[in-house]
Parts: sequence; structure tokens; C-alpha cells
Amino acid sequence: MAHVTALHLKYKYPGSDTLALHDISFSVERGECIGIIGENGSGKSSLCQALAGLIPGFYKGAYGGKVLLDGQEAAHMDADTLCRKVGLVFQNPFNQVTGAKLTAYEEVAFGLENIGVPREEMHARVREAMELLHIYEYREHYPFDLSGGQMQRMAIAGVFAMRPEIIVLDEPVSQLDPQGRKEVFEAIRTLSGHGITIFLAEHNMEQIAAFCDRVALLHEGRLICMDTPARLFSRDDLETYGVEAPVFTKLARVLQVRGQDGLFPVTLEETKRLFMEKRQTGAGVLEWLE
Amino acid sequence: MKSISLYEDKGTFLNRTAPESKLLYILTAVSVPALTGIEWAGIAFIALSALLLLTGRVLKKTLPVLGVSGFIMLTVVVIQGMFRRENMTPVFSLGPCVFYREGLYFAFQIILHILNILLSFCVLMLTTKPSDLIESLVRRGFSPRFGYVFVSVFQIIPQMTETMGIIMDAQRSRGMETEGNLLTRAKAFLPLISPVVMSSLVNTRERAMALEVRGFNSRCKKSFLNPRVKTAADRYIQAMELALIASALGWRILLWLM
Ligand SMILES: Nc1ncnc2c1ncn2[C@@H]1O[C@H](COP(=O)(O)OP(=O)(O)OP(=O)(O)O)[C@@H](O)[C@H]1O
Ligand SMILES: [Mg+2]
Repeated sequence: MAHVTALHLKYKYPGSDTLALHDISFSVERGECIGIIGENGSGKSSLCQALAGLIPGFYKGAYGGKVLLDGQEAAHMDADTLCRKVGLVFQNPFNQVTGAKLTAYEEVAFGLENIGVPREEMHARVREAMELLHIYEYREHYPFDLSGGQMQRMAIAGVFAMRPEIIVLDEPVSQLDPQGRKEVFEAIRTLSGHGITIFLAEHNMEQIAAFCDRVALLHEGRLICMDTPARLFSRDDLETYGVEAPVFTKLARVLQVRGQDGLFPVTLEETKRLFMEKRQTGAGVLEWLE
Repeated sequence: MKSISLYEDKGTFLNRTAPESKLLYILTAVSVPALTGIEWAGIAFIALSALLLLTGRVLKKTLPVLGVSGFIMLTVVVIQGMFRRENMTPVFSLGPCVFYREGLYFAFQIILHILNILLSFCVLMLTTKPSDLIESLVRRGFSPRFGYVFVSVFQIIPQMTETMGIIMDAQRSRGMETEGNLLTRAKAFLPLISPVVMSSLVNTRERAMALEVRGFNSRCKKSFLNPRVKTAADRYIQAMELALIASALGWRILLWLM
């Protein structure tokens, strides 16, 4: 059985007259990492929130279709079950600091206190999460004093400690500096390595291509296509949906370097390998890009 | 660390005392003089609070608090001392203003009350981590939502004002009108303030969602990371406080029966 399934998911915000999500259906296996891309306003955040059950739990508005988590309908789960099942990480790390705690350690434990995890286990989980995301050394720091990347990893740790099977990240690095981005992407890779099903909304196509097993392209609330990065980024019509392929793919397209499957490469390694194989001089360009 | 809080951990006995003991202390300090009607009881509690603040090494921090309320107390002295209806016996005069014994005595009683309440609150507030205080209340059945709001505003507001400052500066540096007549300036102020309002609306919504996904609305019984602090000393202190209140109450009932 698929781990996460969307069936004819529709959603309209209260007071709005266009659908933010328009008949979206897909299914995702356990442990997959799914990228969510699309131009501004295409519905990425709305989809993320629907997957985490905040739509329709938190937002009212017109809702149709369903999201199934492990075969159970998200809309019918209570707050408690839902937050043990799915975690959601937002764009702005600052907004995810509860403000109720004076140290990063207590901050990570916040969710565990809410769902009544026993104290011993709470300590074990908080420590595990913080060590995994390399923030254990900041455990005594005042949460608001952390850097953006550290703060975001603290937010991820807070979600991870709840032991969800699914983690949805909505542009988790868009407000971070390059160092913070790197830290957070490493953190996401770690989560993925733990068998967690991941949804990652992101504007950086290179990262999406490097990270994700499959990518969902949204446009005006519709799911245009959900496919492997190579197949999706090899499409000719990406520009009509307001997205661009990774630079490597664009370069390969210009030079018409394709793999055996007829698709363009999407990551640096692949591109390099193909360029070498075809003995094209483009390899020099890539080294420079790197 | 920026937080609107008067608390600072000095590692003193008072810091280690359970918040409940200190809450109960306020109740004792306020109720015992009120119930017994004995004036020196108020004075005794003021002295005790001062002593506690001294041993808690926070007496200095009490001064600004007193300074603010000092103004109110002064007003009470002036108004009651000069104009209280029962005023009969002049004590002294400052130029044309005559102060009377009855009014001054009444003002003195009010000041005793104010000081007593103020100082006993200081004993709690200056030596207790706000989050510990709220947590101890939540353990006793106080709503976790109210508790959260209570603690978090003190942390989040200073952070938000900082962000707002940044936005305002950014707008201003884009050449917002700061000159001209009132209408021009008002018009210029709107675009200046609207990103601030917008961002705080979005932030509030996002924050609410972030709390939601961390089980804030879970109906489970909450657990607590930190164990409840209740030392043997706390047990004695609380027993003593309760005994004091009970005997004051007994005294009151006795007076009333006789
Ligand atoms: N709270 C809301 N109320 C009403 N309409 C909303 C709300 N949030 C989003 N929308 C609308 O829903 C549509 C999808 O928005 P969404 O935020 O999901 O897009 P997005 O892909 O995440 O965009 P971005 O890249 O800017 O984050 C947009 O047309 C947007 O205007
Ligand atoms: Mg978004």
C-alpha cells in the first residue's frame, strides 16, 4: 500500500474564488523523497499544509477529495495522531521557535511534552534528534540567539523528535544564508536516510534534482506532472509553467548531450559523466561551474 | 538573550525554592494582615520580604519597582494628608499646605498595603524563571494555552520589535517621505507600516500552525521535561504558610464570634 495518497484533492481558501489546489492525485511509497516545485502562488505551500492535515484542520474553506496517510484519511485524524504521523517544517525558522522555552534543548522537547511522552524517553529522543542534526552542542543556548541555519535545524529536530513517518518541508532554506542552506540540506539528507517519507517544496532546482526521487510540478493549483527529475526536467514546456531546469540540464540541452534513455542529465555528476563519455569539450565548462 | 523579564538566576536559596512556595507566600503576606487586622503584621511582612529580597540578592532590582509606585504613594500622602474628610489635627505645613494627622495615618496604612503586596510579588517575580512559574501553574491545572501565551509574549515581543525595526529602516532608506504636511506624512506612513502589519499577520498564522504540528492542541495528558521541584524545605515552608493563613482565619472567626 502506498504511504501517502492524494485523491482528487481540491481546496479553496475562505474568501477566495480560485482553487488553490485543483484535483490533485498521486501516490508515494514509504521512504520516497518527493520534490514540490512551481512558480509563486502555484500551490506548493497549500499542498504541504494539506499533506500535514492543516488543510482542512486548521484552515476552513472548501475542501474536496482526500489525503490518505497509511490508508487513513488525514482529515479524520485527531490533532494528536496527526502530529505523530506527519511533521511540517516552515520557511521562516523564527516563527517556529515557540518562545515558551529558554534553551534549545527545552525547545526541541516542546512537542514531546504536548503529546505526553514520558520524561526518560523525552530526554533520549531530544538528545538523539539534536545529535543527529548536529545541534546538541547548542542545547543550552537561548533559542532566539541561534543563527538561521541552527534555528531551522532546531525546528527540524523538534519535528523529528516526534517520530513522524512523514516530514514535509516548505521552502526550509529560502530564508537562510549559504552556510545555513548547506547545514539544513545535510539535515534533510539525514532524515531521508532514516526511512522517513519526505516532501520538499523548494525553488532551487539543482537541489531538487540532487535530492529527490520524484518531483511534482504544480501550476495554478494543478499537478502538471509527477516524475523522476530527469524526465521532468527534460520536458520542453517547463517555461510555460514558470520553472526552469537545473543549470546542468540547460547546458546539456544547449549542447544536446543526452543519456542513453534520451533524457538530459540533471545533476553535476551525471552531466560530467555524460560529457566525458561523449568526449565533449563541455567538461571544462562544468569544472568552471563547479 | 533579550527577554522582558526581571528574573535573573543568582543561584540563591530563593531561586531554588519552588514557585508554589513563593505564590503561597504572597497569599500569606496579603491575607494574614487583612484577616487579623493587626497593623504590625503588615509591617512584619514588609520587613520579611525585604529580608528575603536581600538574601536573594535582588534588593537592588526592587528599587526601580518601588520608584514607579513611589509616585503613586506620594500622591496618596498629599491627597489624604491634606484633604481627607476626617482631617482635624494639623501636624505640619509646607507653605500654604497643611497636613493632618488623620489623613497621614490613613495614607500610611494604604502605603503599608501597597508596599506589602509589591514586595511580596517582587520576592516571587525577581527570583523565579517565568517559564517555571507558569509550568508549576500548568501542572496544577492552569490552562496550558494561557500559560503559553503568558510566557511567550515576553520572548516573542522583543524579537518582533527587532524585526519591525529592520523593516521600518528598510522602508525609510528607500526614501519614504518624512517631510511635508500631516496628510503627506500620513500617506507616506501607510506603505511604511503595511509590510510590518502584513508580516506580523503572516508570522502569527505561521506560528500558530507551527504550534499545531507540534501537538499544541493534542488532547493527551501533557508531560514535563523538567521534574517538579519540591524540596524538603519547600514542604516546611508551605506547611508554615498554610498554618499562618489558617490561624489568621481562625483568629478572624474568633473575633467575629465574640
Ligand atoms: N491564507 C490564504 N488565504 C487566501 N488565499 C491564499 C492563502 N494562502 C495562499 N493563498 C492563495 O492560494 C494560492 C496558492 O498559494 P500557495 O501559498 O500555496 O503558493 P506557493 O506555491 O506556496 O507560493 P510561494 O512560492 O509564494 O510560496 C495563491 O493564489 C495564493 O494567493
Ligand atoms: Mg509557499
